[in-house]
Amino acid sequence: MLRSVAARRLLAHLVSPGRSAAAPAFRRLSTPASPQPNQPHTSSEQPQGEPPNPTPGASASSRATGEDGGTHPRRAGPGPRARGDYEEEQARVLRAALPHVVRFGWSESAMIAGARDVGISPSIVGSFPRKEAALVEFFMDDCLQRLIDRIDSGEELKNSILSDRLSKLIRIRLEMQAPYISKWPQALSIQAQPMNLPTSFKQRALLVDEIWHAVGHTGSDIDWYVKRTVLGGIYSTSEVYMVTDHSPDFRDTWKFLDHRIKDAFDLQKTVQEAAYLAEAVAAGMGNSVQGVVRRVFQG
Amino acid sequence: MALRRSVTRLVGDLNLLPSLLPRGAALLHSHATSFGFKEVPEEEKSKLVGNVFTSVSSNYDLMNDMMSAGLHRLWKDRLVSKLHPFPGMKHLDVAGGTGDVAFRVLESINSVSRRAMQHGLAETEEETQIYICDINPNMLNVGKKRAIERGLGENHCLHWIEGDAEALSFDDGSMDGYTIAFGIRNVTRIEKALAEAYRVLKRGGRFLCLELSHVELPIFKQLYDYYSFSVIPAMGELVAGDRESYKYLVESIRRFPNQEAFARMIVDTGFQKVEYENLVGGVVAIHSGLKL
Repeated sequence: MLRSVAARRLLAHLVSPGRSAAAPAFRRLSTPASPQPNQPHTSSEQPQGEPPNPTPGASASSRATGEDGGTHPRRAGPGPRARGDYEEEQARVLRAALPHVVRFGWSESAMIAGARDVGISPSIVGSFPRKEAALVEFFMDDCLQRLIDRIDSGEELKNSILSDRLSKLIRIRLEMQAPYISKWPQALSIQAQPMNLPTSFKQRALLVDEIWHAVGHTGSDIDWYVKRTVLGGIYSTSEVYMVTDHSPDFRDTWKFLDHRIKDAFDLQKTVQEAAYLAEAVAAGMGNSVQGVVRRVFQG
Repeated sequence: MALRRSVTRLVGDLNLLPSLLPRGAALLHSHATSFGFKEVPEEEKSKLVGNVFTSVSSNYDLMNDMMSAGLHRLWKDRLVSKLHPFPGMKHLDVAGGTGDVAFRVLESINSVSRRAMQHGLAETEEETQIYICDINPNMLNVGKKRAIERGLGENHCLHWIEGDAEALSFDDGSMDGYTIAFGIRNVTRIEKALAEAYRVLKRGGRFLCLELSHVELPIFKQLYDYYSFSVIPAMGELVAGDRESYKYLVESIRRFPNQEAFARMIVDTGFQKVEYENLVGGVVAIHSGLKL
C-alpha cells in the first residue's frame, strides 16, 4: 500500500513541480537519513529530543505524554493528530527505524525500535503487510525522492558529457546507501524474495526511468527498453560491487561505475558501426547483384 | 494451511468520529436482546450467558476439539501470528478464560528464535505482561489449572483477572494488543466491548477478534448448517450432557453480524486499517483493527 501511494505521490510531484499537499511525508525530509548516534534508552518512557517529522499541530503536551501510555490519559483534546492517517504513521515509524538498521539490520527489531522512538506501540509493526520488505521499500522510495530533490535543485547536471552526467547521478544515488552498506546484502536478499520481487522491480524501474529523464537523453539510436535495461544493469552491478568495496570513500566503486558506463557507450558505438558496416556491405552486394542481373538480362 | 482459504478485505475508514449509524442500531439492539434464537430482556442476557459458560467450563476444551475437529488450534495459531507479539508487550486477552491465546502469545515471545532476534533490544525491554480477563470465574480457574500443568504456574507474566469486556478495569492506553477469541459473540452490547477495547489500547495498538462467522458459499453453507444444528447439540448432549448450551452456541453464531457488518462496527468505534480474513470459507473470521 505504501508503494502505490509513493508512486502516486511521485507522479503528482513530477506533474506539478512545487509542494503538493498530498506528499508531505516525503517532501518534509530536510536531512538525509544517516544513522544518528544511538542514544541509550534506559526506559521506553523517555521522550525523544527531536521528533523526526513534526506534523503541524503536534503540541508539546502530546510529545510529553506520548510515551507514557500507562499512567496518563493520552491527550487533553482531539488534536489534528488524534485520528492520524495510517499511511503517515507507518511512514513515520519506518523513517524512525532507519537509524536502527545499522545495529539490527533490516528486521522487525529495527522497526520495533523505530516505533518506540516515535511513541507508538510496537504492535503497529504487526500490521505492516510484509514486514522487513516494508522497511526496505520505504528506504528505496525515500532515496528516490531525495534523488529527485537533488536533480531539481539543478546543480548536478552542468556537465555536458552524457556519460559524466549518468555517472554523477548514479553515484549520488549509491552514496545514499553508504551508511547502510554493512547491512545492504540483507536488503538485497529481502528484495529478491519472490513475494517482494514485483515491488522491488517496479522501484528500480522507476529509478532508472527517473535517471534517464533527468539526463535528458532523447537520442533515438537505442530504443527505450534497451536504454533502461542497460542502465539497470550498470546500476545493479555497481551496487553489488559497492557491497564488497573497502576502499576509502568507495573510490573503487566509482571507477568501476565509470568503466561500465564507458563500456556501454562503446558497445553502443560498436553496435552502430556494425550496423553501418552491414548497410555498406548490403549496399555493395546489392550493386554487384544488380550488375550481374543486368548483364544476365542484357547478355 | 491446506484447509484455510483466506480472503482478506480492507474496509475503508470513512468516519473520523465514532458514530452509530441508524442502520447499525437495529442490528445491535437485536444482538443485545437475543439469546440464540430466543428473545430475552437485555439485563437477563449476561446472566444467561454466564450460566452457559459455568456449565460448559469443565468440558470447554474437549468440546472445542470435537466440534472443530481440532481446527480451533490452527485458528488460534493464526490469530497469534497475525498479532505478531514482541518482547515487552502488554497484552490483554479478553474472554480468554482457559488461556489458549495467552499461552500462545507467551510461547511466541519466549521462543528461541525470537530471543535470538531480540537480543539487541534487551536493554530497552520491559517485562512482558499478559492479562487474561474473563467474566466467568470458573473459566479462569480452568485456565489457571492448565497453566500449572504447562509449568507456567509461577510465571509472573500471566495475570488472571475477573472482569467484564464491557467495563474493563484497565487504564486508558495501557495495552499494546487486545485479542478476543470466540468471546465477542457473548457480550450483551458489542459496541461497548469495542469501545472498551479502543480505550485500553495504546496508540499503535492492535485489536484482533477471532470469531465464528457467516458462510456464504452455496453447498458448503448447507453442509455447515446441517452440521451446526444437528450434529453439535447432539455432541453436546453426548459428551457434556448439555444440549441447551450448545444449541445456544450455534444459534448465537447465526444472530451475530456478518463479516462486513462487524467490520463496519469496528470502523465506527474509531479503529483504522480494519480488515478481516476468512478461514475455512467463512466458518471463522479474524477481524483486525489498529488504533491510531
